Amino acid sequence: MSVPGWVLPTPVLTSASITAPWLAAVVVTSVRRQVRVFGCIAALLSIIASAALVWRAPKSESLYETLMLLFSCLTLGAILLLPRRDSEAVTIAGILILLGSTLLAYSTGNLLVLLGAWILSIVPFLWAGWFRPRKRRPLVGLLSSSVAFALAIGFIVANARVVSIANLKGQSPGGIVAFALLVIAVVFRKGIFPMHAWVADAAESGSSVPTALLLNGHFGALLVAKLIVPLFPQTDHLFPVLSYLAIATALFIAIRALAENSPRRLLAFLALSQSACILSGLESRTAEGIAGALVHWFVVTVSTVGLFGILRLLEVRFGENLSASRHLGLAEHAPRLAVSFAILGLALVGLPGTLGFCSQDLLVQGTLTSHPLTGLLLPIATALNAVSFFRLFTRLFLGKRRTGFTVEADALPRERWVLAATVLFVVFGGLFPNAIVIQHSAEAVAVDEAVRTSEILNQVTNAPGNDSCLQCPATEPKREVAPRAPS
Amino acid sequence: MNVFQGTLVFVVVAPGFVFAVFALLWLLDWVPSERLLSWITGLTFAACTSGVAALIWRITSAADITVTFGNWFAVGNYHFPLVLTVDRLSVPFVASAAVLSGLIGQFSATYLHRESGFLRFFLLLHLFAFGSLLAFAAGSFDLLAAGWEIVGITSVLLIGFFERRPAPVENGLYVFGIYRACDIGLLVGIFAMHHWAGTASFGNGFPTLTGVRAVVVCLLFLLAASGKAAQVPFSGWLPRAMEGPTPSSAIFYGAISIHAGAYLLLRAQPLLAQSVLASSLVVLIGAATAIHGTIVGRACADAKTSLAYATLTQVGIVFIEIGLGWRWLAVAHILGNATVRTMQYLRAPSMLHDYHHMHSAIGGQLSPTGKQIEEMLPERIQLWLYRWALDRGNLDTIIERWVIAPLSQLSNYLSRKDRTRAPSPTTIRPGRAVQVPSPEPAQRSN
Repeated sequence: MSVPGWVLPTPVLTSASITAPWLAAVVVTSVRRQVRVFGCIAALLSIIASAALVWRAPKSESLYETLMLLFSCLTLGAILLLPRRDSEAVTIAGILILLGSTLLAYSTGNLLVLLGAWILSIVPFLWAGWFRPRKRRPLVGLLSSSVAFALAIGFIVANARVVSIANLKGQSPGGIVAFALLVIAVVFRKGIFPMHAWVADAAESGSSVPTALLLNGHFGALLVAKLIVPLFPQTDHLFPVLSYLAIATALFIAIRALAENSPRRLLAFLALSQSACILSGLESRTAEGIAGALVHWFVVTVSTVGLFGILRLLEVRFGENLSASRHLGLAEHAPRLAVSFAILGLALVGLPGTLGFCSQDLLVQGTLTSHPLTGLLLPIATALNAVSFFRLFTRLFLGKRRTGFTVEADALPRERWVLAATVLFVVFGGLFPNAIVIQHSAEAVAVDEAVRTSEILNQVTNAPGNDSCLQCPATEPKREVAPRAPS
Repeated sequence: MNVFQGTLVFVVVAPGFVFAVFALLWLLDWVPSERLLSWITGLTFAACTSGVAALIWRITSAADITVTFGNWFAVGNYHFPLVLTVDRLSVPFVASAAVLSGLIGQFSATYLHRESGFLRFFLLLHLFAFGSLLAFAAGSFDLLAAGWEIVGITSVLLIGFFERRPAPVENGLYVFGIYRACDIGLLVGIFAMHHWAGTASFGNGFPTLTGVRAVVVCLLFLLAASGKAAQVPFSGWLPRAMEGPTPSSAIFYGAISIHAGAYLLLRAQPLLAQSVLASSLVVLIGAATAIHGTIVGRACADAKTSLAYATLTQVGIVFIEIGLGWRWLAVAHILGNATVRTMQYLRAPSMLHDYHHMHSAIGGQLSPTGKQIEEMLPERIQLWLYRWALDRGNLDTIIERWVIAPLSQLSNYLSRKDRTRAPSPTTIRPGRAVQVPSPEPAQRSN
């Protein structure tokens, strides 16, 4: 059964999903009471509107609608999971602004609006009193990415005089300069090596749950999927550079995490390393790799927000000086938090029976197909991440029971529901992955074919003697389309 | 789906279902009584054993049983087939997994009585049984890898069962690291099969690979098998794994998990037969492990570690048999070894009592096996070998010095470069293997 378009037009639903959190943010900052309730209602409205958008969208074109739904659900979970001491009006308002701007970025097809959403999403992290980290590197990283992105948009608009992304597809607007600026924006925003340090600093010295939400907006991957791949097919020979950087980041951060003792930094490194895999999958230009990246996007997002949430709950209960340098034995006080932490973490690193196993499997297949040698680094990075995560788990939860602590510190009912939902998502997603994989498979195949088509068009326009290609030298050799895996 | 196919599905899924139900109930704040838990465990594995008996009868009288559920997931040209199959190779492994898991369940109901981790142990036992049955009944290497990983994680969680002491937890971490490192071979090997043969399924005929491709896949599988079966140079994790409760040591390191590597190689036998290089390497690794196991085992001071090295020696010989192509001898050897070791592990807490009985019965001391061979060696070599055996062939030292320490140093270096303020760098070097196994629950309660 389908709803006629005039009942709830798509622009109305999109606007509702975006403006509801913004309005709620204004209300929360002015009323300053029942802030969690306002936040939950706004997130729920976004969820309903996003779900309607997903329902209405064609099967192979529902990626951004699905991401909107995911991020709305995630924000609702984060608001519910926030400990009472963190549930201030400023925090909830900041999270709602982040939600609105992220949904705007996902839904827009306009370059200037995308830039606005990009900048708006980092606003709460720039001001003291909101989520600004105590260290300087996060500010530098976020501002640098915004400046690079703004310059890239400037180049594109000045060159093409069009702001609609759909009209710019395949035109390489702004040329290599715009492409390079976009890559720089991705590298800074996503924390790709060597610009990775700000992510750990932000997680360590800022508000952990909002920071996790900021990181899991995956604006860097969004830029790759939304702008770099479709707009610049003629620079496809440079795509592997981004992929190599992503794979190098995954491995580098995995090694770096091995000696880390701060739980927040360690989780940030794991999230960073695993989300770098998303980028390498998106760039692999195989249906398996792209589908794996999209599914992994879900896994990383849900798992890391859950892990950061649990860590924050532990900090509130047991003190903020938690360290992975010794065994703390918290499992006896908080067994359900321990089990949720273990399942979410192991899903992040690809435990069978969770959705992470499927996404990792697809990612490895896709990355190794496109880059047989460098792709080998991906399973190595994942194995190292698994060791780091398991070390963190054992140090936090196992070991001798803390003496002098008698209060029951396990998950409260409100927290238990959120954690149960995240655990069920990764477990049932792993047992019955087709519900998620098939949808992304259709999107991945569509992206894959679009890229191949643009490659072929590119070859035709670049062919010697073809006068329509004015930018490329006539002697440029034809680039072969990568062979498909045998059926 | 006929009745035998349904039976196969039941045998594999039943322990996983029990695990899922009890885990969910625990999350909802309901803890079953010990009596109920052991009763349901017994019932489950009794039903599984009956099902396996039916499968054996069917296979000996007719053909292999294969159940195809289609694809677990599929993208483009890549499929993850969901195929279960039992044939003459896998049915002994399925049978031993079902029967021995049931035995261990019954034994543990008494052995772990009033232990705080009673429920946790049984949940992990069911999960392990599900993983091992899935690995042995898998009709594709993809599904085998899924079961393989589940066996690995349950193994590690049971090593750290006595979680209040740091040594079991640290040793569990070490084992987890070795498992994950070696499992890369399995993952990449499966990818290579998909890439070159288009499938990793063997339910309906083995994927065709020849030449260098066959060698590469064999070597990758050998890496995975060596890690799981604690072959040289990865043998160092086995004594560390003895930190877990004795019933789990019996089922994992005496019977099922330790032989999973050999099963993988037996499954890949058609490829192995094509490659002299890979077969020779299997024989070489097996021989090195057998020699290492028998020498080090002679210097072990505790019962469980001695048993672990005795098992290791036999698994090394099984590898030799597989490398030489003596497939059915290897299967018979595995079944015998698994059964005997399970019994020995379960008797380990009463070993001194048993020895006293034997000594009084024969009226003297039993001479250690192979003592006459030891005495043939010059005293200097005996002394050198003893010191070498005390350090367990220096294998842990080699891995720590050449793999863990460089990684740790690199990580600390990157940490110093990363941080604006001076960090408190740590070493990721895990604790040394503890020589003395964990006190048994019965002893601790006294």
